Amino acid sequence: MTPSALPAGLLTRWLRQGGLMAIIVLYTLYSALPFVWVGAMSLRTTLEISASHFAWPDVYHWEKYRIAWVDSNFAQYFWNSTLVVGAAVAIVTLFGAAAAHCLARYNFRGNRLVYFILFSSIVFPPQIILISLFQVLVEYNLYNTRLGLVLVYVGLQLPLTVYLLEGFFSRIPQDLFDAAKIDGYGDFEIFWRIVLPVGMPAIATTVILNFIQLWNEFLFAVVLVSEPGLRTLPIGIRAYMGDYFQDIGMIATGMMIAVIPVVIVYAFFSEKLIQGMTAGAVK
Amino acid sequence: MTQPLPLALAPAVPPSGLRRQLDRWFAPPEADSRRTTWPALMLFLAPALIIYAALTAYPVVRTFYNSFFTIADIESAKFVGLAHFAELARDKTFWAAVRNTAIWSAVAPLLDVATGLLLALCLYAGVPFARFLRVAWFTPVLLSYVVVGIMWVWIYNYDWGVVNAMLRSVGLGSWARSWLGDPNFALAALMITHAWKWAGFNMVVCLAALHSLPSEVLEASELDNCGWWDKLVHIIVPMLWPTLLNLYILAFIGKMKVFDLVWIMTEGGPLWSTETVSTYVYKRAFNWNTFDLGYPSAIAVVWFVVVVGFVVLFNLLFRRRERLEY
Repeated sequence: MTPSALPAGLLTRWLRQGGLMAIIVLYTLYSALPFVWVGAMSLRTTLEISASHFAWPDVYHWEKYRIAWVDSNFAQYFWNSTLVVGAAVAIVTLFGAAAAHCLARYNFRGNRLVYFILFSSIVFPPQIILISLFQVLVEYNLYNTRLGLVLVYVGLQLPLTVYLLEGFFSRIPQDLFDAAKIDGYGDFEIFWRIVLPVGMPAIATTVILNFIQLWNEFLFAVVLVSEPGLRTLPIGIRAYMGDYFQDIGMIATGMMIAVIPVVIVYAFFSEKLIQGMTAGAVK
Repeated sequence: MTQPLPLALAPAVPPSGLRRQLDRWFAPPEADSRRTTWPALMLFLAPALIIYAALTAYPVVRTFYNSFFTIADIESAKFVGLAHFAELARDKTFWAAVRNTAIWSAVAPLLDVATGLLLALCLYAGVPFARFLRVAWFTPVLLSYVVVGIMWVWIYNYDWGVVNAMLRSVGLGSWARSWLGDPNFALAALMITHAWKWAGFNMVVCLAALHSLPSEVLEASELDNCGWWDKLVHIIVPMLWPTLLNLYILAFIGKMKVFDLVWIMTEGGPLWSTETVSTYVYKRAFNWNTFDLGYPSAIAVVWFVVVVGFVVLFNLLFRRRERLEY
């Protein structure tokens, strides 16, 4: 390298570093500022917001969270979401894990066919079941019930759960099962006392992933539940926005109530969630 | 009767296509320790299969069945044969929805994947806080469409939205417009929101692929004094091609089903300019006064065939052995 090339090389490196940092700072602002904005608005009254939309709160109106929680029914929506999502995730994890274990461990005719059938519905557009599920739920008096929504959610998340767990369970060494059999474990003891504990990391991933996806679910909740007292959070926020279109401050507070649990879960389990969500796309 | 072949030996000469698929489906059992009784198998599989049969298979079949009927109320159905499909071919709104959905599916993934790749390259180049930024940039992926949608409705607001406020502050007030109210811009505005939500997903996948590249190749290009642009175009993109293609296909299929964001932000308006097939099905089934579940079922059937057709086509075209998750 000639001496004269050194400053030029240094300059391009600085330019490169500068450009890189500029992109990073800009993108971080681009992805974060909308949150900050809504977060700030959630602590300001609509009157204050109308005066200036982009100001930082003068007074932190924390009481708005209490008002949204108590007076605007968000406590009810939150409870509905928790109940429906909690039940659906518990059921889909148990059913999905049982099926995944069976498909991953045992050889029987049609094993891959059953796997293909369970898995392939992941590509179906939701409309192909939406309308007839509405009919089915009406016929069985499950329309406008939490139970109906729970069952539909179990059906929705089953393919993903089986897919993720089958992939993990099939990598548990067979020796473990042979040893358990020699010790006299039956099929169900093997599932209960070996597969579930050993598979806990994968099960945790699917639990968190299913929780987030169902917590945010909109289409089926809006079609299968019309009773205001049974609304889940996304439907509650949207209904609130429909009724009080001008009340930006309170809508922002409601949005934060829906976002905060997701952010908390993400803060604790970020790697698991990222792995689960990208499982199908990463080679 | 043919002797069952051990599974490990079977793929020595891999039979191709459908035959191989059938062989895998009906593969005979290999060893005794991996076998169990039918009742045990059934107990493990039955809950999932019953849920599948009742809440996926039966509704799919029933939607196909419904598409031949006019169902004005839930008790009475009138058989109309293929009339819905004939009407569909003439339905201008449906074709507008197909056009918009096709634009979404083809164009928006380019934006998502390109943004994701750019961000991944920034992190790969080694910037401070890269690990933190990777987690932070992924956050929008986890947000509900309701939250993202309302947030961006405000960002695009004519009077006080961020976009117009910024344009006015730099003296471009004449460019300010009601972004979601203008048929020429509404679809693009939605795509940008969608990219905002999904860029982090593509970034994580691209970053993982970058980290798995053999470092010798990149080091060799370093020694050859290869500029960063040449490195990107001639080395990184070709080597990441399978990943990028995979991401594009994932986004393509995902966007054929896009509903939530559109419904929350524009409900398909203005003037059908953001109507997608999904929102149109929903409208015809549950939102219009012409209450008939048959016609929207016919749309759903057509679109189901199209989506599954594309999935099969992509799988045949690119012969990816890995399973895809949509």
